[in-house]
Amino acid sequence: MTGDRPPQSPRDDDEAAAGVNQGWTAVSYLIGGIAVWGFVGWLVDRWWHTGGIATAVGAIVGAAGGVYLIARRLGA
Amino acid sequence: MMIPQVLVNAAGVLADSDSDNHFPPSVKDFYFPALFNQSLYPWLTKFTLLVWLAVALILIFFWSGNRSPKMVPTKWQWMTESLYGFARNNIAVEMIGAEGVRFAPYFTTLLSFLLVTNLFGVVWPILISPNSHIAFPIILAVISYVMFNYLGIKRHGFWKYMKISLIPPAPWFILIILIPIEFASTFLIRPFTLALRLFANMFAGHIILLVFTLGGFALLGANAVAIRPLSIVSWAMAIALTFLETLVAVLQAYVFVVLTSSYVGGALAEEH
Repeated sequence: MTGDRPPQSPRDDDEAAAGVNQGWTAVSYLIGGIAVWGFVGWLVDRWWHTGGIATAVGAIVGAAGGVYLIARRLGA
Repeated sequence: MMIPQVLVNAAGVLADSDSDNHFPPSVKDFYFPALFNQSLYPWLTKFTLLVWLAVALILIFFWSGNRSPKMVPTKWQWMTESLYGFARNNIAVEMIGAEGVRFAPYFTTLLSFLLVTNLFGVVWPILISPNSHIAFPIILAVISYVMFNYLGIKRHGFWKYMKISLIPPAPWFILIILIPIEFASTFLIRPFTLALRLFANMFAGHIILLVFTLGGFALLGANAVAIRPLSIVSWAMAIALTFLETLVAVLQAYVFVVLTSSYVGGALAEEH
């Protein structure tokens, strides 16, 4: 008789928890990437007086790194 | 049930509001004076009492539910067990795995504390959550931060823990870019956002409710008579947003615990 019962699936709540977690992980990688490398770029700007170009490059490189990490950590 | 009292309070506030303006609400509304003696007990404010009240309520809730536990639980016992079961199965075990069971007591405590203190924000006659003051979320986030780092270092040793946390599988020239990001996201952004998310939600919720309740009175007292009926709209918004804030209070309690358990799970895991 037990075989007739549909498989117990508490998956809805489980996926909610995992989804919350993955969402915030992704956001923190993206912000972290842009903030860290944007900051490095900003320092370079101050040092070489490049007027914001290095900040922009840093932010883009950081965003790319963040996306790479999201794909690596969450995608697999 | 909760709204009329808000109106009564606000009416009292408005009666003597000519000299010190209560509208628009400001950050000052979150700083309460000491209850008794400013110089002797500056720390004893409304928030302090609310935290004690929350602890007392949670103790009573779990104690009275489990004073004489039955195999077939009473309704009250069933409620306590459901809350524990939720924190245990749907948060701890789900995020950490079988090992998560040993953290279930802390997660249950944290979840109950956050639920009760967050809901203070929408429950008459309290109508403010201690978590709308950043000090309380900071302490809770610090506990989570120390907890997951301590557990990670204890499990793996310092260097291996750093290696697991900071070095993802990638070629070395990409690692140069990735390691600072991993460091920032794990050790700087995590505790910061954990505290800020809870604080900002509770703070903004309280401000919004203040804006619409006090704004209703500001409209009612407007010089242009045609504007006065709009106060009804303002109060209707306040009521609607009270329901939204109830949802936010529960959701943010859940999110805080889920993220804490996920950090613990990540620190204990062998690989990401």
